[in-house]
Amino acid sequence: MKFKQQEPANLQQQTTPMIDVTFQLLTFFMMTLKISSPEGDFNINMPPAGAGAAAVDQLFPDIKVRLIANANGGLANLRLGERSLGNDVNCFQRLNDEILQLIGQPGAARVKELEVEIDADYNLHFENVVKTIGACSGRLGKDGKTVIRYLEKIKFAQPRKNPDV
Amino acid sequence: MKFKSHPMASAEMDMTPMMDVTFQLIAFFMMVTNFEQTQADERVRLAADALAKPPEVKLAHELVINIGYRRGKDGNKLDEQPFVFVPGEELRIPDFRNRLKQEAHLYQVKEVKLEDVTVVIRADADVPAGQVQEFIQMSQEAKFEKFALKAKQTVD
Repeated sequence: MKFKQQEPANLQQQTTPMIDVTFQLLTFFMMTLKISSPEGDFNINMPPAGAGAAAVDQLFPDIKVRLIANANGGLANLRLGERSLGNDVNCFQRLNDEILQLIGQPGAARVKELEVEIDADYNLHFENVVKTIGACSGRLGKDGKTVIRYLEKIKFAQPRKNPDV
Repeated sequence: MKFKSHPMASAEMDMTPMMDVTFQLIAFFMMVTNFEQTQADERVRLAADALAKPPEVKLAHELVINIGYRRGKDGNKLDEQPFVFVPGEELRIPDFRNRLKQEAHLYQVKEVKLEDVTVVIRADADVPAGQVQEFIQMSQEAKFEKFALKAKQTVD
């Protein structure tokens, strides 16, 4: 008896659907890609209105930072307490240095109790407030990644309608 | 004369290297796609600071608020007053008071304590600081307690 030799079935997998899906996925990710720089958070405390009276009993008085605006909303003067730090590009670095001098050693137990009160003019551009918060919060370590924290408690004074420039 | 018939060469292309590259591209795009910033509004030009690091722990509940200006294609402001951008709507900051109360109510309906909700404010660099403070006060009136300000991370 003679058997007819059957041809082996094609064992190769059909790859076309997989390639289709893969290209669709690739297209989706390419189309939806948005290149944006990473965003970070600054946490703030905002005491409710009328909480100012409690400040008298504070064990650790607030560090007061005053931001005075010019007519265009730019920074006219940055003050730490009564001391003027100017309004040039390095004024926030000076504030950072002054804060370090005030606190002494970052991370100490006493430092964790200290609080900064930012008192900004109404029409001041918000970016100056962000830079002030950054300068009070700390600085980057030598590796450029580690954050050396100075002050963690940051609050705003009540908003002022009429800046007393 | 007899000719030996040669078997036909396979016309099928080898897809393996192409698939390898395609999968690597997909992996790359998946890695760089940021799914977290879906609530961010592109019209808001955030202030930048080197210390603005992305949070290490994701906030349990966050209410993201975008405050910025209507801008033309050239980037210039079309309106001097800032708006709160919500999907499909642009509201003046004082007009958002009621919406904040509604948001607070919705959290309470979902049995989320308002003290666990962080109001994340993405405010444009040019917005008057007083208006951001007023917005925070409005949020406090709606019983929100925690606030975070967003800034773009810069490298010094």
